[in-house]
Amino acid sequence: MESDNDVALDIIITNVVCVFRTRCHLNLRKIALEGTNVIYKRDVGQKVLMKLRKPRITASIWSSGKVICTGATSEEEAKLGARRLARSLQKLGFKVKFTDFKVVNVLAVCTMPFEIRLPEFTKSNRPLASYEPELHPAASYRIKNLKATLQVFSTGSITVTAPSVQFVATAVEQIYPLVFESRKTAR
Amino acid sequence: MSPRVCKNCGGTDIDIDQARGDAVCTSCGSVLEDNIIVSEVQFVENSGGGSSAVGQFVSSESSGKAPSLGAGFHNSLGKESRAQTLQNGKRQIHHLGNQLQLNQHCLDTAFNFFKMAVSKHLTRGRKMTHVIAACLYLVCRTEGTPHMLLDLSDLLQVNVYVLGKTFLLLARELCINAPAIDPCLYIPRFAHMLEFGDKNHEVSMTALRLLQRMKRDWMHTGRRPSGLCGAALLVAARMHDFRRTVKEIIRVVKVCESTLRKRLNEFEDTPTSQLTVEQFMKVDLEEECDPPSFTAGLRKIKIQQIEQELTKKIQDVEDEIASYQDEIETELENSRPKLKGMYASLLKDDSLDDSSSLTSGIHGESEAEDEELTVASNHLSKDLYNKMQQKNPESVDGQCQPASKTPSLTSLLGPLPTAASLGLTESIKECIEDKKESKENGENGELDLNGIDDSEIERYLLNESEIKIKTELWMKENADYLKEQKEKEERIAKEKELGIYKEHKPKKSSKKREPIRASTAGEAIEKMLEQKKISSKINYDVLRDLNKGGGTPNHEQDGIIHSGSAKKSATRRRSTNNNRDISTPVSNMGKRLQPLISSQPTKKIAAEQVPGSQATPVESSKTVLVESGPVVYNEEEAVEEEDEEEEESCVSALQLIGGNDYGYEMEEDEGY
Repeated sequence: MESDNDVALDIIITNVVCVFRTRCHLNLRKIALEGTNVIYKRDVGQKVLMKLRKPRITASIWSSGKVICTGATSEEEAKLGARRLARSLQKLGFKVKFTDFKVVNVLAVCTMPFEIRLPEFTKSNRPLASYEPELHPAASYRIKNLKATLQVFSTGSITVTAPSVQFVATAVEQIYPLVFESRKTAR
Repeated sequence: MSPRVCKNCGGTDIDIDQARGDAVCTSCGSVLEDNIIVSEVQFVENSGGGSSAVGQFVSSESSGKAPSLGAGFHNSLGKESRAQTLQNGKRQIHHLGNQLQLNQHCLDTAFNFFKMAVSKHLTRGRKMTHVIAACLYLVCRTEGTPHMLLDLSDLLQVNVYVLGKTFLLLARELCINAPAIDPCLYIPRFAHMLEFGDKNHEVSMTALRLLQRMKRDWMHTGRRPSGLCGAALLVAARMHDFRRTVKEIIRVVKVCESTLRKRLNEFEDTPTSQLTVEQFMKVDLEEECDPPSFTAGLRKIKIQQIEQELTKKIQDVEDEIASYQDEIETELENSRPKLKGMYASLLKDDSLDDSSSLTSGIHGESEAEDEELTVASNHLSKDLYNKMQQKNPESVDGQCQPASKTPSLTSLLGPLPTAASLGLTESIKECIEDKKESKENGENGELDLNGIDDSEIERYLLNESEIKIKTELWMKENADYLKEQKEKEERIAKEKELGIYKEHKPKKSSKKREPIRASTAGEAIEKMLEQKKISSKINYDVLRDLNKGGGTPNHEQDGIIHSGSAKKSATRRRSTNNNRDISTPVSNMGKRLQPLISSQPTKKIAAEQVPGSQATPVESSKTVLVESGPVVYNEEEAVEEEDEEEEESCVSALQLIGGNDYGYEMEEDEGY
């Protein structure tokens, strides 16, 4: 199940994005006026940005009651931050309900202990892999059933984006053998 | 024409006359066929005496609708939309392809790609030019021509990444695997541009070898091939005694100076750079190097380690100093026996407190706020160490290790992944489990106050006085916006009452301007230029003079108007030629404006009588395209787009004045 060899890989989660609904209409102006750390964005689709310090989180709040929460480093933290946010909205006087919480995107970084030959990797994994050195130094690999995108760099570090932490782990496991084939062998 | 049998007499001798289209049996004379379809070419005599073939051109892509309106309509009238799109695309492909010097085969392949793209509806929502560029680049990749995406973006003045996105999408949708770019492909092209003369081939070969060496040394993964080419060519040129400066190479290869320098530095780091010219040509080193970014990462780790070692050493040195200090002090104290007793008692009291802090303090870094304190504590611990060692040598090892250069480095150096990984995989599993538990809360909709610190949240909210202040500030800042909103609401309320209220969605303001009414062309130009600020490079005064002095140096206008783009003047000439061909009823008012800024002054002036015919109405001058009569600035330009398509987007004169759609693109071009 885990990668072959005894070396286990460290997967560091850098960002977790989640959404939830408050099921009530929110008056953005009131939030903007009475919160300490809010930015009212009038320009494109009126919304309020509220930043929390304790779990470092930035939330975009719409007047319909939908809230998107970014910047957490784990799923738990994301949920905690979201609940904190809902609580602060409650204190402002809105009848807030915490519903439909869902983690939408997880971004993680992983480093392989070897370098990777990207042209080789791309050739053996077409069409899932694509590599355009003129545009971006990494090869991108998509896993459809996991809805995950992996960016493979030649130094061996891999960036993974997937809808949940488990998918991230599965994606890394899936890609390990493929990347292992095209690794740069010792000189 | 299989031999047939006559129905009447059974004879097989049948005479077929192609001219009449008959089949007649020679034995009995009965006509078997009439009006046979013939595949011969027929000729018809022209009015001029020449003969031309009878027939119509039918496109292989067109559907059943044959244009039966006559032979003169060579443009997209009466065809369906799909055919129009394809024809338009074909034209654009050819235009771009010729600029890139692609051969016919490539262009045809590109057109095939385009057809596939259209049938898969990939052109929807994308600019046609982007799709065309992507098709062309796809062909370049599959054929292996030395064209970069940068070239295409240069031609179109579009961001490379935007083109790249379209290209990637196209390649994915059409399931075409474009082979990876090999920087070796670009070498002949760049070498040619750098003009090495006779030695071109030799320099190219050297550069190729250098590139292969770079590949083996892992410099080429993840890098733009053009950058590597540039570095290889620079070195190859120097090796053959050609002086090519960095700037020249940059102009040819299209990378930044710092990129080139970086590549050269990286190459310098490889062992190959140490070889001399002859050695390099003969010998190929066996070793391979790591990619530069990897070595940079390793370097960082090494630096960190070195720093840690240094800090350790500093500590040791400090300890030594402390010990010397200590000896001196003990000597001094020996002269004072009383204090010694107190000192000893102090030691015993402190030892219990210090031991815990010492263990943490020693292993950590030397963040000496008070150097004396740390030195003292170290020295104390040393004493402690020595004392304890005398008593319990075993128990010490685990706790205080001040003097020993700890092997903590190895624990740091050691397999980095393993230490962290184990911990993290566990936490990941925890996360997965927790998710299942917390599902219950979500369904209720109730807010679970677990772990939420209310007091902290209160801090996020302002108290009353603060709210007032903030409200004032906010209102002041956004006063204008609030006004607008109020007015809007009032307006909507009124309209609602009247029952006229419509839901207005935010539209992009279509720039519909009133037609300019002016008596002279000069006035018209002025008014138009007032409305539409085109370019700072146009000398408006000269433009105004255009009408007055027909003989005024129109070459000046050339230089002023088409500043820096010879291409445009060439196309403009072409376009004005076209104008002559198209008869006046077809050409619109807008086209008449063209001769004003045209670059065919002398011929036109001879033909036209510019100063005299200002006021004459339109119909009088048929053969001569003069800026006569009121110049009406029509929106019918849009309809004329089809006619103008021959000149395409490079006809800037017309578009400057006329077509709104092209207005913006042209402005960008002018600025270049």
